[in-house]
Amino acid sequence: MIQEGTGFNERVWGSDPILQGLDLVRAFGDGGSFSRAVDEVSLEVHRGQFVLMMGPSGSGKSTLLAMLSGLLRPDEGRVICMGEDIWSLNDKEREQFRLDHCGFVFQGYNLFPSLTAREQIELVARWGQGATAAEARAMTDVLLERLNLADRAHLRPAQLSGGEKQRVAIGRALIKAPDILFADEPTSALDWAHGEEVVKMLRELSKDNGTTVVCVTHDHRLVPFADRLVDLEDGRLKRQSYGFHGVTEPASHHPHEPGEINPAIPAKPTLRYRATP
Amino acid sequence: MSYALTTLWHERQRYLTAILAVAFCALLGCVQFGLLLGLFSITSMPVDNSRADIWLGAPKVLGVDLGRPIRESQALARLASHPDIERVEGFLQGFSYWARKDGGQELCMVVGSRLEPGSMGRNTALERYPHLAEALTEPGTVVFDESDKEKLGVTKVGDVAEVAGARVRVVGFVKGAKGLAAPFIFCSLTTARPLLRCFPGQITYALGKVKKNASPEDVVSSLRRQYAPAPPKGEGASGKDMGTLSIQNEAQKEAAEENALGQDSQAELSIFTSAEFSRRTRVHWLTKTKGGFALGYAAVLGLMVGAVVTSQTLYSATASSIKEFAVLKAMGIPRWRVSLHVMTLAAWVGVIGIGVAIPAVFGLAAVAEMWGVQMKLEGWLLVTVSVVTLFMAIGAGLFALRSLRGVEPALLLR
Repeated sequence: MIQEGTGFNERVWGSDPILQGLDLVRAFGDGGSFSRAVDEVSLEVHRGQFVLMMGPSGSGKSTLLAMLSGLLRPDEGRVICMGEDIWSLNDKEREQFRLDHCGFVFQGYNLFPSLTAREQIELVARWGQGATAAEARAMTDVLLERLNLADRAHLRPAQLSGGEKQRVAIGRALIKAPDILFADEPTSALDWAHGEEVVKMLRELSKDNGTTVVCVTHDHRLVPFADRLVDLEDGRLKRQSYGFHGVTEPASHHPHEPGEINPAIPAKPTLRYRATP
Repeated sequence: MSYALTTLWHERQRYLTAILAVAFCALLGCVQFGLLLGLFSITSMPVDNSRADIWLGAPKVLGVDLGRPIRESQALARLASHPDIERVEGFLQGFSYWARKDGGQELCMVVGSRLEPGSMGRNTALERYPHLAEALTEPGTVVFDESDKEKLGVTKVGDVAEVAGARVRVVGFVKGAKGLAAPFIFCSLTTARPLLRCFPGQITYALGKVKKNASPEDVVSSLRRQYAPAPPKGEGASGKDMGTLSIQNEAQKEAAEENALGQDSQAELSIFTSAEFSRRTRVHWLTKTKGGFALGYAAVLGLMVGAVVTSQTLYSATASSIKEFAVLKAMGIPRWRVSLHVMTLAAWVGVIGIGVAIPAVFGLAAVAEMWGVQMKLEGWLLVTVSVVTLFMAIGAGLFALRSLRGVEPALLLR
């Protein structure tokens, strides 16, 4: 198993990880169909990082995300998020923890067909945070502006493009101002133009707000936007890399260390990383 | 607008089935019980169509149509003894037999009252026919509802028939006074006595009118107190017979024994306000005939059908949004909040369904009225049926909550 420990992570992002997965194991099936979807994976994520978890289908990346985000109980191992061992909490406490700290974006936008873009976002503020109608409206206005959806606020999902729907879904996740945003294949249902729009938005979010973004994807075009790549294969951590965020930040912010990454800003997003040895 | 209402409006085609099911339940309940009340209100019609405030009758009388003869002088004097009673008069009502020309016999309900304008017992159905009220002052004359002509074998004014062996002549017909099983035969007190085989000096009820500003309830209570209740005995002892006026002292006992009415020495007279007596009459027939139970059964079945349809509609609607709810759950929004949304949906389905049903009920009542069938849609009935239907819809919502058990955010991850 490849472990962190080059010292790079700590030097750049500080010593306190916001999220730690420790020796996580999750198996499915029994008897002949038994398989370990995630097999003794440990990783740390630091505040404000935009982390991409990649790997082929069945590599266990979504299962790992589910365990890290408090949605799926690991068979073994621990998840420490913001100093809290989230799987030692009871269901209600974990639900409250997610409410206080976590946002989610999924591949399927999962928007209520009968509600407008504005209502989709307001609903989370009202139901989740107990905001009054006026408070929720004010919060949503700010967010819609930021998501470039102000003029689409009155439309229902059927009237929105895929990219707009995903932006509404991101708005729904952001209205709570989460510390960590978990995204599962947020661009895979979109063409690249819309996908790029979405990933830029996630990237800006992590930079501007200090929100940590943990994103599962198999789309290699997202790599240049990431601070860090976590590559999984057959449920195991294959390699980790750091530093592709050329689109929004100068490379000098993240010193190139030989053998780790190539910090050159890609003219066009392409897969450009080198694995740690 | 609440999210539930927005959802309901936007997905109205999906929820239409549930709304119609709820509307059907409310409609069924209101129509069935309205018809039943309308049907049995016929039995209390002589009370409802009178101007009397207080009715005094034989001991433990069950309803206005089941009165027995009492001594006129005693009953009227007793009622008139109260200072708040303005005037009193006698009233006769009872079942008898109408002999048709073809030899057949029909059960009929003879109603004998004073006939002068403003008299308490004169049925308001006669108000529109002052000439008939006048004609009825001639002994041996009767009128009845024109829809009962065929039943009684009468074709025209002037026809002659026999009631309980006494000859009567039909002097006219009225409208809106149709009997339930036995046609109402309206006549004077003088005519009614032989038809009911009553002796002179006997009446079935003494009617009282209270003075202006006096309350009939207070007068009835006062009369009951004045003639202290009899020692516990039978139905009266159990407190069931609220309107019992006891005759306690020896003189009264003797008088009661002496009267030729066949009552025992512990004779008690019953006293009611008009509203009490009307209700007592209807409730008696409602329970006696078990009609209420039969229709209640059908209404419960209707409610069950409505509950199942509503529940299944809500269940499938909720199940179709399970991924959206799963996202909310992933974000930590508590399950109760989502459940409350489903329950709000159910409540709105109920409210809208009832809103659809009530105008339809009044429409059906108007149609029924055109066919001569009375549907009595009292406020309490509409409120009760609405509340029961609303609870049914909310109960269906509770049942539909089981679809939320499948809300599992981890399933959203590929």
